[in-house]
Amino acid sequence: MTNIKVLGVMIGTLAVYTWIANAIPQIESAVPEEVSFSADVSPAELVAAGAELYSGGGGCTTCHGLETRAPNLLTDYNGEGTIGQRCGTRVSGQDCKTYLHESMMDPAGYVLEGFEPMVFQARVLSGAQIWSLVAFLQDQGGVVTVSGSDVATAAEADAAAPAGGPMVASNDPLEIMRGNLCLGCHMLDGEGAELGPAFDGMGSRIATDRIRTGIIDPALEIAEGFDHLAGSMPPNLGDMLTARQLEVLVDFLAGQGG
Amino acid sequence: MPKISRRAEWSWLQASLPVAIVVAIGLIAIAIEPLAAQGYTPREYGDFPVIGSRAAIWIAAQLHLFFAAFVLGVPMFAVVAEAIGIFSSDDRYDKLAKEFTRLLLVSYSATAIWGAILVFGLITLYPGLWGYLSEIFAPSMWVYVGIFFFESFTLYLYYYGWDRWKKGRAKWGHWGLGILLNLWGTAVMLIANSWLTYMMSPPAEVTPDTAPGMVQFWSAFANATWMPINIHRLIANVVFGGAIVGAYAAYRFLSAKTDEERAHYDWMGYIGNFIAISALIVLPFAGYWLGREIYEFNQQMGTTMMGGFMSWLWVVQAFLIAVLFLAGNYYLWVGMGRIPGAERFMPYTKWMLLVLLIGAAVWATPRNMIADRAEITAMGGQFHPFLGVLGVMSAKNTAVNFMILTTFLSFLLYRRANKKAVVSWEKTGTTIQGALFAVSAAVVLFYGIYGYFVPSIVRIGFSVYQVLAVIAAIILVVVIDVFMMRGAESRGEIRWGEMPERSQYALFILAVTFTWLMGLMGFARSGIRQHWHVFEVIRDTSVDAATPALGYASIVISACVLIFLSLVTFIFWVGGLAEKPVISGTAVGATASASADGD
Ligand code: HEC
Ligand code: HEC
Ligand code: HEM
Repeated sequence: MTNIKVLGVMIGTLAVYTWIANAIPQIESAVPEEVSFSADVSPAELVAAGAELYSGGGGCTTCHGLETRAPNLLTDYNGEGTIGQRCGTRVSGQDCKTYLHESMMDPAGYVLEGFEPMVFQARVLSGAQIWSLVAFLQDQGGVVTVSGSDVATAAEADAAAPAGGPMVASNDPLEIMRGNLCLGCHMLDGEGAELGPAFDGMGSRIATDRIRTGIIDPALEIAEGFDHLAGSMPPNLGDMLTARQLEVLVDFLAGQGG
Repeated sequence: MPKISRRAEWSWLQASLPVAIVVAIGLIAIAIEPLAAQGYTPREYGDFPVIGSRAAIWIAAQLHLFFAAFVLGVPMFAVVAEAIGIFSSDDRYDKLAKEFTRLLLVSYSATAIWGAILVFGLITLYPGLWGYLSEIFAPSMWVYVGIFFFESFTLYLYYYGWDRWKKGRAKWGHWGLGILLNLWGTAVMLIANSWLTYMMSPPAEVTPDTAPGMVQFWSAFANATWMPINIHRLIANVVFGGAIVGAYAAYRFLSAKTDEERAHYDWMGYIGNFIAISALIVLPFAGYWLGREIYEFNQQMGTTMMGGFMSWLWVVQAFLIAVLFLAGNYYLWVGMGRIPGAERFMPYTKWMLLVLLIGAAVWATPRNMIADRAEITAMGGQFHPFLGVLGVMSAKNTAVNFMILTTFLSFLLYRRANKKAVVSWEKTGTTIQGALFAVSAAVVLFYGIYGYFVPSIVRIGFSVYQVLAVIAAIILVVVIDVFMMRGAESRGEIRWGEMPERSQYALFILAVTFTWLMGLMGFARSGIRQHWHVFEVIRDTSVDAATPALGYASIVISACVLIFLSLVTFIFWVGGLAEKPVISGTAVGATASASADGD
C-alpha cells in the first residue's frame, strides 16, 4: 500500500509538471536557414525560409501566437482553422495567396475585426522574403501555391525600386512619424500604439543623443524595460529618413517633456 | 554492531566496476584519434533509432548528471554528518554518514555506467563535435579519468575503513579521507563543467574559423560561465543530496515496522530536509550571478534566455521553486507537532504560509502579461500597472528574499520549540532577533520599491543590498540564538517517529520536484545555445538542430526523472540487501524484511 501511494505521489507530481509544461504556449526555436532565392526555388525551400523568418528575424512572434495581441496563425483562430485553412475565405474573390500577400503589403487595407491594424514593416523585408512568408503561412493547413516566378517578379521589382530612401517628403514631425509608422508602435498624445516606449515625455526620460542612436541603431541600447522587445524596433529607419527629417524627429522627441 | 559478511562477496566486483568502465572509455576515446589521423574522416552525425540522436544524448547526459550530482552531494553530506558526530559524540550522525556512504558505492557505478553511455553516445552520434571538443580538451579528459580513479579508491577506503579507523587520531584521518573524497569530486565536476560551459560561452577570440588546435586551453577551460555554473551546481548538488536523502528516509519511515526504526528515519528525514532547504536558500543568489554573467557574455543569449522563446520556462521554474519552499516549510510545520512546546508557535504558521504564497505568486508572474490592445490602452501602458510591475526583477528579488526569510524563521521556531532559555537576557535577545528580522525585511522591501524609481543598472546593485541584509540577519540571529540557548532547559524531548505520514509525502514531492527542476534547468542551459553546438562557433547541422518547445522537453525530463528514481530505488533496495541499517541490535530483522518487500 505504501509503495503504491509513494509511486502515486511521484508519478502524480511528474504528471502535473509535464502537464503544466505542455499547457503553456509552445515556442520552438527554429534554425535560421540560409536559402538563396532564385526563380527555380522550390516550394519546400520557400516554406523553410518563411518558417525561419516567421519565428526569427521577421519578428512575427512578437504579436502572433499569443492570441491576445494578434490572431493566431499557426493554430486555430476563432474556429476558422489555421491560417492556411482560412486564408482563402477572408476576402471574396481573392485566393489565399493573394490575400496573404496583400495583407502583408498593405496591412492597413486588411484589418480583421476586433484588432488594430497590424504594424508591419513590409519594407524591412525583400519581396522574396514576403513570398517565403506567404508560402510558409499557406503551408499551415493549406496548399503552397507560391512559385518561383512570383519570387522572380518580386526580386525584379525590388531591384527596380531599391529599398531605402525617405518614405515621406515632409519635414513636419507628425507627418514623418505617420509616414514611417512610428506611431504604429509608439504613443503620442493618445495617438498610436503601446508596443514601444511612449513618445510622450521621452525628452525628459532620455538624452537627446540617445534618442538619435535609438532611431539609427536601436540595438545599441535597448530602452529601459523593453528588453523583451529588443529587435522589434526596425533597424533600418536610418535609411528611411533624410538627415533633416532625422534631426526634426530628434528635436521633436527631445522636446517632449514630462 | 551486527557483523555483515554477505557484502564482501560482491563488493569488490562492484567496487572495481566504475574504475574499469572509466579506463575502458579513456582507452577507446584515445584510440579514436589515430583513426582520424590516418585519413579516415568520421561522419558528422550518427542516427539513433526511434527517439532520435538528440533525445538519446539528452537522456544519457541528464542521467549521468543526476547521478554525478548525487555522488557529489552525498559525500558533502556524509563528511558534515561525520564531523558533527565527532564533535557532538552523538553516534547517530556517524551511523547516518556511513549509511549514506554505503549507498554511494552503487551510485558510483551508476554514475560511471551513464558516463560510459554518454561518451559512447557522443562518439557514435556526434562524432564531429566529439572530435572537436576532444582536440581542445584532451589533457583535461585524461586528468578527469585519473581523478575519477583516485576518487573511487578514496571512496573504498572511506567506506571500508569506517569501522577500522573509528577512534582518536585514526577517526580524524578517516574524516580526512572524506574531505579528500569531496575534493576529488569537486575537481571532477569543475573539469566536466569546463567542457559544457565552453559550448555555451566560448572565449571571444574563438570563431568558426578557429581550428580547435589553436584554441588556448586555459581560456577555453576558464570561460565566462564556468565559475558561475560551478558555484550554482555545487550548491544545487547539496540540495539534491539532501532531498534524495530525505526521500530515502521518508520511504524507510513509511515502511518501518518498529518505533525505533521510525524514530531513526524520521530524524534522518529531518536532517535531509534541513540540508536541502538550507542550501536552497543560497541558490537564488548564485542563480542571479549566473544569469548576469550570461547576459554579460552575450546580450542576445541573455535575452533569449529571459525574454525569448524560453520566457515561459522561468514561470515554470518559479512554480517549481515555490513548490520546494512550500514543501520544505510544510514539513517543518507538521514536524512541530512532535516537539513539546511547539504549540506556542503554531499560530504563526498560517501567516508564514501567506507570505510564501504571495512570494510564489509574485515570482511566477511573467514579466510582461501579454494583453490585447484594448486592455493595454485601458491600463495605460505595455505593462499591467499591477501585474507588470510585479513581474520585473525588483519584485522577484523582493519576493524571493521574503520567502528565504520566512523559511529561515520556520527553522528558527523549529529549533527553539522545545527549548526554554535560561539566560537573563532572553527577552532582550528575542527582541533583538525580532528587530533584525524586521530591519532586514524593511531593507528588502525598501529597495524592492525604490528599485522602480531608478534605472535598471542601479537596480541590479540594489539586489546586492537586499541579499546582504538577509544574510546579515540570518547570521546575526543564529549567533544570538546559539548564545541564548546555551544550557537551555528542555521543554521535553523531540518525539522522533511521531510524525504523521502526510509529512513524509512532502519529502517525496521535494525530491521529485528538485530532480525535475534540475532536468528543466539542464534543458535551459543547453537550449539557450539554440542551433549551435558551440555557441556561434560550431553550428548544429543535424536534423535535430531546432530547439524543441517546453512541452516536448518536459516529456523527456519526466522520462529522465522516472528512470533516475527507478534506478535509485533499486540502488537503495540493493543497499538494504547488503547491509542492514544499524539502528540497534534488535531492530535488524524487521528492517531487512521491510526493505526486502520495499521495491
Ligand atoms: C505588431 C504586432 C504584429 C506583428 C509584428 C505582426 N503581426 Fe500580423 N497581425 C497583427 C494584427 C493585430 C493582425 C490582425 C489585424 C489585421 O488583420 O491587420 C494581424 C494579422 C495578420 C494576418 C491576417 C490573419 C488572418 O487571420 O487573416 C497575417 C497573414 C499576418 N498578420 C502575418 C504576419 C506575419 C507573416 C508577420 C511577420 C513577418 C506578422 N504578421 C507580424 C499584428 C502583428
Ligand atoms: C515595429 C514597432 C516600432 C516602430 C515602427 C518604431 N519603433 Fe521605436 N521602438 C520600438 C520598440 C519595441 C522600442 C524599444 C526597444 C528598443 O529600444 O529597441 C523602440 C525604441 C525607440 C526609441 C528608443 C527609446 C529609448 O528609451 O531608448 C526611440 C527614440 C524610438 N523607438 C523612436 C522611433 C521612431 C522615431 C520611429 C519611426 C521613425 C519608431 N521608433 C518606429 C518599436 C518601434
Ligand atoms: C531559487 C532559485 C534557483 C534555484 C532553486 C535553481 C535551481 C537550479 C538547479 C537545481 C539547477 C541544476 C543544477 C545541476 O544540474 O547541477 C540549475 C541550473 C541552472 N540555473 Fe538555476 N536555480 C535558481 C535560480 C536561477 C536563476 C535566477 C538563474 C538565471 C537567471 C538560473 C539559471 C540556471 C541555469 C542557466 C542553469 C543551468 C546550468 C547547469 O546546467 O548547471 N538559476 N538551477
